[in-house]
This record gives sequence, C-alpha cells and structure tokens, in this order.
Amino acid sequence: MRLIIAALCPVLASAVLYLLHKRTVFGGAAEWKKQILYGFVFGALAVSASKLTIAADGNVMSIGDIAPLCAGLIFGSPAGVLAGVIGGVGRWFAVLWGADTYTRLAEAVSVAAAGLLGAALRRWMFDDKKTAWHYGFAAGLVMGVLHMLGVFFTNMDDVQRAFGYVKTCSVPMVSVCAVSVMLSALVVSMLGKEKLRMAKEHKKLSQSFSRWLFLVVLVAFCMTSVFTYILQTRFSISNSEQLLMLNIEDVKADIEDASDENLLELTRGVAADINAAETVDNSLLEELLTKPGNDFSEINVIDEDGIIVYTTNPKYDMFDMTSGQQSADFLVLLEGEEAFVQNYRRVSADDATYMKYAGVALADGGFVQVGYNAERFRKDIDSQVIGVTRNRHVGENGYMIIAAEDWTIVSDPHGNEGKNLDATGIWIDTAAMPENERFESTVYGEESYCIYTETEGYYIVAVEPVSEVMFSRDLSVCVTVFMEIIIFAVLFILVYFLIKKLVVENIHKINRSLSEITGGNLNVSVNVRTNEEFVSLSDDINSTVVTLKGYIAEAAARIDKELEMAKIIQSSTLPGVFPPYPDRTDFDIFAMMDTAKEVGGDFYDFYLLDENRLAFLIADVSGKGITAAMFMMNAKTLIKSYADNETDTAKILTKANRALCEENDAEMFVTCWMGILSFTTHTVTFVNAGHNPPIVRRGGGRFEYFKSHPGFVLAGLEETQYKSGELKLYPGDEIFLYTDGVTEATDTDNELYGDDRLLGTLNTLGDVRAEEICRAVREDVDRFVGDAPQFDDITMLHLKLLPKNSIRLTPTKDSIEKVSGFVERTLEEAGIPPKIIIKMNVVVDEVFSNILSYSGASEAEAECDVRDGRIMLVFTDDGRPYDPTAKPDPDITLSAKEREIGGLGFFMVKKFMDSIGYEYRENRNILTLAKEYDACPCKDEDKQL
Amino acid sequence: MNIEKKTSGSTLNIALEGRLDTTTAPQLDAELKSSLSGITELNMDFEKLEYLSSAGLRVLLSAQKVMNHQGEMTISHVNEMIMEVFEVTGFIDILTII
Repeated sequence: MRLIIAALCPVLASAVLYLLHKRTVFGGAAEWKKQILYGFVFGALAVSASKLTIAADGNVMSIGDIAPLCAGLIFGSPAGVLAGVIGGVGRWFAVLWGADTYTRLAEAVSVAAAGLLGAALRRWMFDDKKTAWHYGFAAGLVMGVLHMLGVFFTNMDDVQRAFGYVKTCSVPMVSVCAVSVMLSALVVSMLGKEKLRMAKEHKKLSQSFSRWLFLVVLVAFCMTSVFTYILQTRFSISNSEQLLMLNIEDVKADIEDASDENLLELTRGVAADINAAETVDNSLLEELLTKPGNDFSEINVIDEDGIIVYTTNPKYDMFDMTSGQQSADFLVLLEGEEAFVQNYRRVSADDATYMKYAGVALADGGFVQVGYNAERFRKDIDSQVIGVTRNRHVGENGYMIIAAEDWTIVSDPHGNEGKNLDATGIWIDTAAMPENERFESTVYGEESYCIYTETEGYYIVAVEPVSEVMFSRDLSVCVTVFMEIIIFAVLFILVYFLIKKLVVENIHKINRSLSEITGGNLNVSVNVRTNEEFVSLSDDINSTVVTLKGYIAEAAARIDKELEMAKIIQSSTLPGVFPPYPDRTDFDIFAMMDTAKEVGGDFYDFYLLDENRLAFLIADVSGKGITAAMFMMNAKTLIKSYADNETDTAKILTKANRALCEENDAEMFVTCWMGILSFTTHTVTFVNAGHNPPIVRRGGGRFEYFKSHPGFVLAGLEETQYKSGELKLYPGDEIFLYTDGVTEATDTDNELYGDDRLLGTLNTLGDVRAEEICRAVREDVDRFVGDAPQFDDITMLHLKLLPKNSIRLTPTKDSIEKVSGFVERTLEEAGIPPKIIIKMNVVVDEVFSNILSYSGASEAEAECDVRDGRIMLVFTDDGRPYDPTAKPDPDITLSAKEREIGGLGFFMVKKFMDSIGYEYRENRNILTLAKEYDACPCKDEDKQL
Repeated sequence: MNIEKKTSGSTLNIALEGRLDTTTAPQLDAELKSSLSGITELNMDFEKLEYLSSAGLRVLLSAQKVMNHQGEMTISHVNEMIMEVFEVTGFIDILTII
C-alpha cells in the first residue's frame, strides 16, 4: 500500500504541475523559475520517498528515484538535475531521522543518478521534449535496476544478505519504478491531449530504427538470460553433484580408513601373538579369539600354499584361498606384502556371509587372517562413523546422513539416530536408484539434492538444499540480467545516438540544403563529410545541382536570345521613328514603351487616316511577358485593320472587341483609350475601353484629367457596344496618354507613384515638345522608383497640337475687324511691307464679309501664316457650302451704269492672291489663299503692280 | 473711319480717313444718301484713306451713278494701294481721279 502511495506521488505531482503550467498564469512565468519550482517539488518528493520506506521481508527499501526521473524526463533537464541533487543529498541525511543505513549510499547515489539520467535523456535523446510513455517505462526500469545493482555492489561484504535484499526488493522496486514513471509520462501526455501514437505513415527513421533496435535488444536480452539461466542451472547442479560426491567419497574413505585401521591393528596383535606362540593350532586361535580386546569373529591361519590350516570357523578348514576372488586378494601377503585389508564383502567360501578381513604376514611364513562380521564391524566403527559425519557440512547448509544396512540412521546432524531413514524424508530404492546418482528429495521439509553410496555396510547419503545449490545460479543470473539491462540500455542509447548523429542529423542537414535548392537557391552546396557514404551523396547532389545550373543557364541564354528577338519584333511593330510626320507642322506626337520584361503587354499606336485625321491610341493587355505580347500584337493589328475601313472609333473598337473575343482562349483582356482627331473640326472622337483617363492641357494652361465614363475592357465580352465621346482639341492643346505602369510604379517602400504625382510632374513642364514631356515623366518615375524593380510596362503617348496662328470666332459684324486686326498684326510682325498688308486686309475683308453675309456659319476661323516668302491665309467656316472660285469674274470693262454691284470682292481677292484653293469637307468650307512676296522691298513695286 | 464733310452750296467735299471696308462702307453710304440731294459737285479726298474694299467700291459706284445724273464727282489724293484696287476692278475707267 505504501509502495503504491509512494509510486503515485510523482504521478500526481506531474499531473498537477503540468496542469498548473498549462492552465494558469504560472505557465507564463520565466522558464528558469519554473524549472526551479519543478526541481524543488520533485526533490522534496524524492526525500519524502525515503521516509515512505517499504519493508519487505525485513528489508527496507525506498523508491526515491521516481521523482527526479520524472522531473528530468517530463519537466526539463534543469529540474531533473536539481531534483536529483536535492533527493540524493536528502537521502544521505535521511538516516539522521531514521532512514535505513544499509542502503544509504546506494540510494543516495541512485536518486541523484535518477535526476541526472532523466535530465541527460531528455536533453540528448528526446530533443528536450516530453518523454513518451514507453520510454518512461524503460527509463524507470533501468533506473530501478541501477538502484538494485547499487545496493548490491555497495554491500558486497555480505553477498548473502545483499542478494537476499535484492531478491526480495528488486521485483517490486523495479516494477513500481517503471510503472510509476510510465504513468507520469502517460498522464501528462493525456492531459496535453497528445496523440499517444504517432501517425503510422511517416515514422521517423530514428523511431523505426529504435523500434527494431529495441526488439533485437529485447530478444538478445531474453536469449542471454535464458541461456545464462540454463547454463548456470546445469553448472550449479553439476557443482552440487561434485560436491556431494566429494563428500561421499571423503566419508566413505574415512569410514574405510577407520575400519581398516581398526582391524589391521587387531590383526597385527593376533599375528604377534601367533609369532610368539610356540605352537600354532586351533585352540590357540580360539584362545586369541576370546582374548579380551580381540573383538572380532574369526581367525584363520593360512600356510605358504594359501591353504587355511587353522581356523576358528571349522567350515573354512583347509579352504584353498586361491579358489575364490575375495580370498585370492590376500595372496599378496605370500608375495612379500606385510599387511592387507579388504573391504566388507561377501566371502568366497560362503555366499551367505559378509565379512571384512585383514591379513598380516607371519614370521614363519604364511599369514594370519582376521575377520569382522557385520555386527562386530559396526559395533566397532559406529562411533567413528558418527564422528566422521556429524560435523561435516556439505557446502553451506548441506549435510551427511549415514544409515546402516537395515536403514537405521547411524549418523544425522539433526539427531535422529536409531530411527529409520524415512524419518528424514529420504526414501531410497536401491533397485531403481543407482548409487552415486543425484536424486531429489524433500529432506526435513526442504527440497534438496541427494546422492547415496553404500560402503562397509553403510548407506552414506549426502544432502544439499536446492536453494543453496541454486544460490550461485540465482545470484549470477540476477546480476547478469541486471547488468544486461544496464548494458543493453547503454547500448540502445549509444546506437540510437550514433544513428542520430551519423545518419539522421546528416540526412536532416542534406534535406535542409535540398529544400533550399528546390526553393530556388541553386548556390547552396550540400556538405556533409562525416563519412564516405554522405560524402559521396553530397558530392552527387552538388554535381547534379551544378549540371542543373548549367542547363538552366543554357536555357536562360536561349530564351534571352529569343526574347531579345521578340522584343525587336515587338518594338518594330510600334511606330518608333520620331518625328513620324516631319512635314506636319500642326502637331507633335511622341510615344515610348519600356517593358518590364523583354516583351511587354502595353502598346501604343498612331496613324494618319488621311491628311486631316489622326488616330492615336494606347492600350494595356492584362498580364506581362510572351502571352501578353502576343495578344498585344493581335489586338494592335486588329484595331489598325478596322481603323483603315471605319471612321467611327466606337465601331472600330466594337469590331475589334468582337474579333478579340473570338480568339481569346487565354482569357486575357485589353484596356484601351483610342481617339481619332480631326484637324478640321478640332474634335477627338474617342472611346475609353476601361483605360486610365488621359490628361489634357488646353492652350498652355494646366494639365487636367479628362475623365469620361469608361466602356468595358476589350476582349472581355463579345457583345460590348462601345459609345464614342467627343473631346475638343484645338491647336495649342495637348493630350497625354499613359498606362498604369506609370501611375502604379512602386518605390522601395511599396508606395505608388499615383495620379497626383503624375499630374504634378506634368504641370512642372512648360511649353515643351512631346518627346520632352514623355522623357520628363519617365525620369521622374525612375527617380521615384529608385532601386525597386519595374513590375509593369511603362508606356506613354503625348500628342501636342502646335499652336496655329489663327483666330477663331463666331461670325458677327465685329468679326471682320478682329480678323483683319489679327492678320495685320501677324503680317506686321513678319515684316511684310505695309502695301501688301493693306492688300491682305482687303482680302480678309472680302472673304470674311462673304462668310458673314451668305454662309450662315456659326463658327469661322482664319489662319494666317508667313513662311518662305509666302503668305498663307486659310478661312474655315461651318456655313453652307459655297465655292467662290466657281463664280465667273465680273466684267470690269463695263461702264458704271452697267456695272453690277457685288462680285467684285472675290474678284479682288483673286487679283491680290497668287493661288486660291477651295475645299468642302467635314461640313466645312475651307478656303486656302496664298501670296508669294519678295522679301526684298526694292523690287517689290513693279512686281506687285 | 472718319468722314469729314464740307458743304458749300451745291458742292460737297468729303474727306475720308481710315479704312473704307465692309464695316465702314454702310456709314459712308448713309452719309452720301442723306447729303447728295441738290449736290452737283462731289469731291472726295482720299488722302487719309488707307484702303478700301469691295464694299467701299460699291458705295463709290452707287455715288458715281447718282452723281452721273446730278453733276460730277471727283476723287483726289488716291494712294497707290487704292489706285491698284481701282485698276484691278476697272473702276479707274469709271471714276474721275484727279
């Protein structure tokens, strides 16, 4: 009961402390504090276990090992060491308050060792994790065995007692120790709700190895134990047999010696008497037979021929000694031997008689033979026999019993002389049980090995208790088993360690390197050089990686080359020569695309549909790289091909969208902003297919986002119908298109470039060329991004309508003055001679008064340009079509009376200008007038007139 | 355009200054229409007239037509530019330029 309490204490403590650690604030305390607490609690338990001693058969044992072992295994190495030290010291001083001194040293050491063992196992074998229950069991077992061995070896001066202690205590001690530690581990792991079994599929190498190792060790242990047991049993029995036989032989020799000497002495006396006698005859022999002290039964005198010549037994008279085996033995006396003693045996002359004879040579030749019969013989030596055997010990507790021929006990250390041998418990059946063979019998209530032999009419029985015989076997088996447990445990740990160190850790090392390699870091090399196998494995992996690297580099180089080609092809499809229309002075366009990868998914495009219409667009294909680039090529080609046949932007994109949807297996889409600018009407007809709003600056003002409700992206839905919007873009206005690669460029802090920053940058720029606008934005983005990589294609398009020297107004009466004022100023600034200016004024007056009076235009524009000795005047109005050049000239030769009023105005214009062109397009009358002038005024006169 | 008008009996002297164009021609036209009745001699001084357009010509033509009935009309101090206009338009043959 106390044993169970002592065993359950650590289990309980483990459970309580574990719950404390898991469920309460204590769990958050510093680790070292917790370890100290654990150490003290288990140390105290260990000390109290030495008070809770268990008495078994007068032997006192305490099981203080459990607590430190639990502390070490379950709660941590420092706790284990602390508990061990506290427990060990406590046990040492526990004798002061009455603990057992017999096991003081052993227990103190073993308690301390338990703590250290627990700590060491946890630290090095279990990777500082809680121990599984089966390992707890094994550790407890080993600790119990160590404890027992300790007790045994510290008390070697009394092996019997020490072994007795070990024998009684070891089973409860070891089993309690093992079970208690196992329960502690089990309870804690159950409280921790851990799975008691690991998942079967992925057993660790070390686990399966330790399992097999454990199995092999267990089998080896059992085999060795059984073998030792059998061997030791055999050995003990044979030892015992030898011991018994030795004693029997000894006693037998003693008895024989005793009887031989006795008889020989008597015979010598008789021989002396005969030698001294004058005559030898039967009566002398009779006299000698009855002589006091001559306590024997027969005297024979044998002559030199071996014939009994005188005898006290008439039956033997004249018996020839050579005639029987028994009697012939004595003939040695005739050959010079002085004396001869023969065993008690059947005589040759009479089958029914047993006798013991001794013979001594006589001085006159021949010899005298004196014989004992059984009765006389026994009477003669019984006392001597008793003396020989009574104090004889066989081994430690064995003894000799001697019985007479009638099974009456002659000698017995238990004092049962005179009783039948049955009284001892020995039963000998001489027929079934041969002499000198071991048999088992319960002698005086104790199982014993016995051997008997018969000599001189006695049965000598040697007895040795089985327990004594088997003591040495038990001892050696016990020590062997204990030592084996220790050795196998050490071996197990050692092999486990070696496997872990040499194989498992190296495999882990290689695995770590491999996972880095598969993670993409091909510069990692595997370097495990502890033994040849790993060296070759490492080298193989490294060379594989090197080869792989080579292949990758080769493939990368090839792809690079192809991508380079692709890039060239891609960029060659975008308009890349700037200025694209060197002849056009009315607009300036520039575009650029910087791809994030070699090929990009952005694109821009622009083309003159005719002289007066410019299509321009920017687009962004979802995604990047090859697929985006291929989709981009397709989209670009489609849009352009539709733009060639279609004038409406919405229709172009609607058709392009339908075509793109048909062949869009990759489910990509394109955002696009496309506009077609009419230089005549200054109107951009645009469609925004999900793209960023463009930024517009009007007449040197500020850049502003031009937001419109965007349509759906291209290639998204087949049925999308785009609607176009209109944006007025006059000379001097600019429009900036871009992709989200600009606004979503990120810096190293992951901050976006953003719409505001873009607008801010644009607004720092003055009246500069389109190319400079794009480059300035690009530089600012680069500055902002810094070292961060470019994620997306950066694409921009800037269209600038160069300011025309023109005046635009709604025709009213005042308009003529304004227009002529504008023209006059222009020409004056250009240094045109006043005479010509005046003519031009007339021209303006004539043309514009025509527009004012007849066209019904709501908007008119006059453009004046002086270049290369040529004055250009262009009048545009949205009035009804009227071609003044088609009108016939008036007849200027008519008299005033006949003259028509009117018609003269345009006639004057014709006269003043060198060339006149008229065109009606896009609902506009466009009248283009030109006049050559000579820059040198001196010649002017004649020419002009 | 400034119109300086001096009437002495049946003689009207008009000096024009500035431009005689679409804008200003109606002004002169109105002035002449109101002043020509009973005038037998109309003298126009173009010394300070910069130029004239077809609208001006039209006024001059209608004035000439009126004066052909009432008396005579002369235009003096015509500058080169205006003279060119008159030449080009054949007005040089209609008008009396002194």
